[in-house]
Amino acid sequence: MRNYFKPGRLLLLICTFPFLLSGCWDRIEINDMAIIVATGIDLTDEGEVELSVQIVNPQGLGSSGSGGGQLGGSGSVGTMVSLEKATGKTIYDARSKLQEKVPRSLFLGHNRVILIGERLAKQGIKQHVDFFARHPFPRIKAYVFVTKDKPIELLQVNPDLERSTAEAARELADQKFGLDVTLKDLLQMLADDTRGAALPYLLVDKEIPGKVGLKVNGSAIFSDGKLIGELDDERNRGLFWLINKVDQASVTIEPEAAAGYISFSIINAKTKMKPTINNGKWKMTIDIQADDDIVENNTYLDVMSPAILKKLEGQLEETIRHQIYDTLEVIQKDFKTDVLGFDEAFHSHYPKEWATVKDNWTDTFSEVDVEVNTKISISRPGRSTTPQGVPKDKVIE
Amino acid sequence: MIEKGRISALQMATLLYPTIIATAILLVPAITGEYAKKDMWLSPIWASLAGLFVIFLAVKLEQRFPEQTIIQYSGTITGKLIGKLIGVLIVLYYFHATGIILLEYGNFVIGSFLPRTPLLIVIGSMVLVCGLAVRGGIEVMARTAQVLVPFVILFFTLIMILLTPELNLDNLFPVMEYGLKPSLKGAIIPASWFLQLFIIAFILPVLKKGEKIGKAGILTVITVMITLVITNLVTLLLFGVITTSFTYPVMEAARFISVADFLQHLESVVMAIWVAGTFIKVSLFYYVVVIGTAQVLHISDFRPIVLPIGLFLTVLSFWTSSSLQELEQILITSFPFYDFFVLIIIPMLLLVIAKVRKKGATKNRRNKGKVKK
Repeated sequence: MRNYFKPGRLLLLICTFPFLLSGCWDRIEINDMAIIVATGIDLTDEGEVELSVQIVNPQGLGSSGSGGGQLGGSGSVGTMVSLEKATGKTIYDARSKLQEKVPRSLFLGHNRVILIGERLAKQGIKQHVDFFARHPFPRIKAYVFVTKDKPIELLQVNPDLERSTAEAARELADQKFGLDVTLKDLLQMLADDTRGAALPYLLVDKEIPGKVGLKVNGSAIFSDGKLIGELDDERNRGLFWLINKVDQASVTIEPEAAAGYISFSIINAKTKMKPTINNGKWKMTIDIQADDDIVENNTYLDVMSPAILKKLEGQLEETIRHQIYDTLEVIQKDFKTDVLGFDEAFHSHYPKEWATVKDNWTDTFSEVDVEVNTKISISRPGRSTTPQGVPKDKVIE
Repeated sequence: MIEKGRISALQMATLLYPTIIATAILLVPAITGEYAKKDMWLSPIWASLAGLFVIFLAVKLEQRFPEQTIIQYSGTITGKLIGKLIGVLIVLYYFHATGIILLEYGNFVIGSFLPRTPLLIVIGSMVLVCGLAVRGGIEVMARTAQVLVPFVILFFTLIMILLTPELNLDNLFPVMEYGLKPSLKGAIIPASWFLQLFIIAFILPVLKKGEKIGKAGILTVITVMITLVITNLVTLLLFGVITTSFTYPVMEAARFISVADFLQHLESVVMAIWVAGTFIKVSLFYYVVVIGTAQVLHISDFRPIVLPIGLFLTVLSFWTSSSLQELEQILITSFPFYDFFVLIIIPMLLLVIAKVRKKGATKNRRNKGKVKK
C-alpha cells in the first residue's frame, strides 16, 4: 500500500491544482461585458469608417422582465439598449476607439445584425467584411442589411414588439418577406467574381405620425462589392421568384371579367432553372410552379366555377410572368449583374462552354435569353364559396 | 518488451481513430480545398490508400518480428550501428511530430477561445494530463479512448446533422470539372495524416494474441476516410468557394448552426471533440516517444522518463514554429516528404532488407495458416 499523503506527494499534488483553473484565464464576468447586438458601418466625410453599435444592458433586460407588465412601455426601452459611435481607419480601429468610451469590455459574440450605410456601400464593401470573419468573436450567421439613412439612425429606433433594432431586424429577415442574407451568403457572393450580390434594404418607417419603426423594402444590388442600384419592392418580388425564395407571398390581380381585385396567398412555390446552349445561343428556362389559395375576393365573380378559375389561373400566371420579365429587364440590361445564380447553373451544366465566357460573364449574362414558364394552380377557394356581401343573383358565374 | 499491458484489436482501432481525426477535421478541409476545389470531398478517398499501405507495411514487419517495435527490429535487420541510427531518427521524428500537434492544439484553443491565455498554460496542461495517461501505460490509454471516442463520434454526427438544413447541393457541381488531377493533388496533404497510421508499428507488439489486426486496421482506415469525406462534403456544401478562406472551416460551420433560435453557439462542442481527440492523439504520440526513447537507450522501465520527456515536448512545441501561418506552411510543403521518408521509405527498406537477408520469423504466429508468406 502506497502512502499517497506523504508531504512531498501532497505538495506536488497541490502544485498541479492551478492547472485545473487554466480555463478561467480568459473569463469575463457578465457585468464587465458590453454585449453588442447590432453593428452599423458607414463612411464619414473624411473617408474613415464610422462604427455604431447597439449594446444591450443585461440589467435593463432583467428589470423589465421582473417588473412585469411595463414591457413595451416607451420608457423601458431606453434602459435596455444603448448606442455608441466611433470612427477609425478600419472597423477594429473604430472599435478600439469605442472601447475608450464604454466602461465594459465590448463583446461581439452576440452580434446578429450588420447594417451597412449606403455611402459605404457605394464606395465598396469588400474590404470591410473581413473583420467579421477574422476576429474570434463575431458570427458569420449575422444578417446583413443596407440602410439609406445613416445606420445609427436605424439603431436609434425603438421597435414596438422587440427589444432592440437588432432583434426586430433579425425577425424581419426571418419572415422572408425581404431577402434574408447572412454574412456567410454575402462572403460567398463577394468571393465569386462572376456573381453580383443582392442585399435587403432596411428602412425607417414613418407611416404613423410621431412614431418610427423599421421595415424591409426592396433590395440593393452590388456589383464587384459596390452598390450600383436598387430593386423596388415590386421588382424585388420578381427577384424572389427567380431565385426560388418565395416562401410567403401574396399576389393581387384585377380580373378581366369583373371590376375589383382578388388576392391570393401563395402556398407552395418552386422555381427551377434549366440552362441550355444551342448553336452558341445561351438560354435559360425558368419553370415556376405554385399553389395558391384565394384569401380575398372583392369582385362579383364566383370563384367556385371551374371556367372562371381557369381564367383566373391564366391571369395569375400572366401577372407573375410579367413581374419576372420586368425584373429581368432591369437586372440584365440596366445592372448587368448576375444576382440570380445563372453563372453557377451554366457552370455546372456546361463546364467547357463556361470556361470560354468566364472572364466576360457580364456581357454574356446580359444577352442570355430567358424563358419563363409558370404553372399556377388555385387549389382552394378559402372559407367562403361565393363572394361575401353580394346578393346571390348578382354573382357572375 | 517494457510495456506489460495488452489491448485488443478493437481497442487499437479506438485509439487510432481520434489519433488521425483530431487534427485532421480542423485543418484538412481548408488545405485540401486549396488544391482540389470542388472535388475536395474525393481527396480523402485517394489519401486513405496511403493509410492502407503503411498498415500493410507495419503488419508485415511485425509478422517477422513479433512483439518487437520498429526500434528493436531495425537493429536486427540492418546491424547495430545503422539500426541505432534509424531508431534515433524515428524517435526524433515522433518528438517533432508531437511538438507540432501540441502547437496546432495550442494555436487553435488560443485563436478561437482563449485569446489571452498564455500558450504555455494551454500546452503545458495538455502535456501534463497526457503524461499521466502515458505513465498508466497502453491499457489505460486504450480504456480512456473507449470512453471518449463514442462521445467524439456522437458530437461530430450531431454537428453534421444539425447543419443539413443549411447545405446547398449546388456547391457540389460540376464534379471533376478538371478531371482527376485536382482531387489527387488535394490528396497529398491528407495522405500525410493517413501515414500517421504507421504508429501501429508501436501498438502491434502489445496486442493480445490472436487478434484480427488486418480487420481492425482496415476498419480504422475506412472510418477515418468516411469521417473526412463527410467533413469535407459538409463544409463544401455549406461554404462553397469560401471554404478555403477559413482557418478552421468545421469550426465556422459549427458556429453557423442555429436551430429554432436557441440551439446555437455550438462551437464549444467542436472544442470538446477537439480536446478529447487531441488528448488521445498526443497521448499516443507521447507514448511512442517514451517507448522509443526507452528502447533506444535500453532503459528497463519507461515510467521514470515520462515527465522529463513531457517537459521537453512542451519546450519543443514552441520551437517547431513561431506562428500558425508558418506551421501550416510546414505542413503543406515539407511535412509530406518528411512523413513519406520516415513512415514509408524506411519501413519499406527494412522489409526488403529483412527479406533479402532472411531475418526474422517467416511464419506468422498470430493468424497461423491464414496469411501466406
